[in-house]
Amino acid sequence: MRDEPLVLGIETSCDETGVGIVRGHTLLADALASSVDEHARFGGVVPEVASRAHLEALVPTINRALDDAGVKLADLDAIAVTAGPGLAGALLVGVAGAKGLALATEKPIFGVNHLAAHVAVDTLEHGPFTGPAIALLVSGGHSSLLRVDDLSAGVTPMGATIDDAAGEAFDKVARLLGMPFPGGPPIDRAAREGEATVSFPRGLTTARDLQSHRFDFSFSGLKTAVARWVEARERDGSPVPVNDVAASFQEAVCDVLTMKAIDACRHAGVQTLVIGGGVAANSRLRAMAQERAAKHGITVRVPRPKLCTDNGAMVAALGSHLVAAGRRPSKLDFPADSAMSLSLIGV
Amino acid sequence: MILLTTPDDTRAFGARLAKLLRPGDLIILNGPLGAGKTALTQGIGVGLGVTGDVTSPTFVISRVHRGPVPLVHVDAYRLKDFEVDDLDLDASVDESVTVVEWGHGMAERLADSYLEVLISRRDDDTREIELVAHRGDWADRLAPLLPQT
Repeated sequence: MRDEPLVLGIETSCDETGVGIVRGHTLLADALASSVDEHARFGGVVPEVASRAHLEALVPTINRALDDAGVKLADLDAIAVTAGPGLAGALLVGVAGAKGLALATEKPIFGVNHLAAHVAVDTLEHGPFTGPAIALLVSGGHSSLLRVDDLSAGVTPMGATIDDAAGEAFDKVARLLGMPFPGGPPIDRAAREGEATVSFPRGLTTARDLQSHRFDFSFSGLKTAVARWVEARERDGSPVPVNDVAASFQEAVCDVLTMKAIDACRHAGVQTLVIGGGVAANSRLRAMAQERAAKHGITVRVPRPKLCTDNGAMVAALGSHLVAAGRRPSKLDFPADSAMSLSLIGV
Repeated sequence: MILLTTPDDTRAFGARLAKLLRPGDLIILNGPLGAGKTALTQGIGVGLGVTGDVTSPTFVISRVHRGPVPLVHVDAYRLKDFEVDDLDLDASVDESVTVVEWGHGMAERLADSYLEVLISRRDDDTREIELVAHRGDWADRLAPLLPQT
């Protein structure tokens, strides 16, 4: 049983209520309820609305996951939940719900790190990690490079964004180009119809920047450059080639992400690069990473797009890993930690 | 009106502004995408001596940085309308300096008096900063920051 623990994972760190169930590295259920529609009603994300939406969605989503997996609460070996980082009120709903469930069913509970779960989810697709890996985590809220030696022990941060996250740059450039939120999918689609004809800046890649920020990212200057380019066109009264701008912007983001990720692998002497987070669903990033990694004999692991964005299966996957590794469960009084440090895998 | 040439200049200006701040202050930053609102807040963070890297809070909506005077950094870009209670802040606004990006028309109700910082991007890529005092003693406090004529 310990080799193939049956774990239910709960994710409520932002706008998705996710409940996943895994047995070892096998995905049994991945139920998701999004409060995006709810936010649309309010015209934007409101933390309090997200918390309320999680509260309403949590129990139905748990029931749906149990039905999909064909298991009962009593069958579970453990319950895992995102303890942080994320929106404080949103996290609290998942943490409180998971604690109640654990208490009622007398199952052990594991409070886990959302970012480490984005790495662990790939084990559901490509099996366990066989050696050290470099993880590139790119989403609306995060852009980080981490060294992962043993997922049950901890990860070592190597670098992160110093201003905007990669996904945030996608959202803001999409808004500039008149595309809907979230900006990743429409930019990806538009870029396929365009050409990367504009050379936008690559943040923190000059020799001087590389000395102090070798594995850090900056996307704020890129966002501003795109805004300036579009504004200059509009001032001249000439049409904005939206598809080409989208392709050029996307090329700049993917160029820097893959360049630094591969540099990190080579620097650490690591043969595996795992990519996670919502931006990992971007088709150009996936293709460019594969292409560049192959040249250096590095294997790229990236899960299917649905597992890249926030979900409960990733939390269950990390929980299952911790159970199998014999990690002690969290104490029932662990808090939701909105600023949870990456050096903590679990609490 | 203050002109700043590079993002480092914007950060340095934020650090100078921070020296005039005290607990309970509300600063509202307005300006287009890429104006330098986060860069200015980074400078305020340095000036206040708070912990943790100040990065864009757009996705997380708000972030609290601990320090002698804590910095509450809010980004209203994704918010339509909010009350301070909605932010689930893990800090007291009365004891902190609160900086709200994209706060135009929304954040004013958070405090009786506030400082509005308008940042605009000129065609030559320099930034133009205008400080607008809204009630309180802001006008007197800002005097050291204004260009001597």
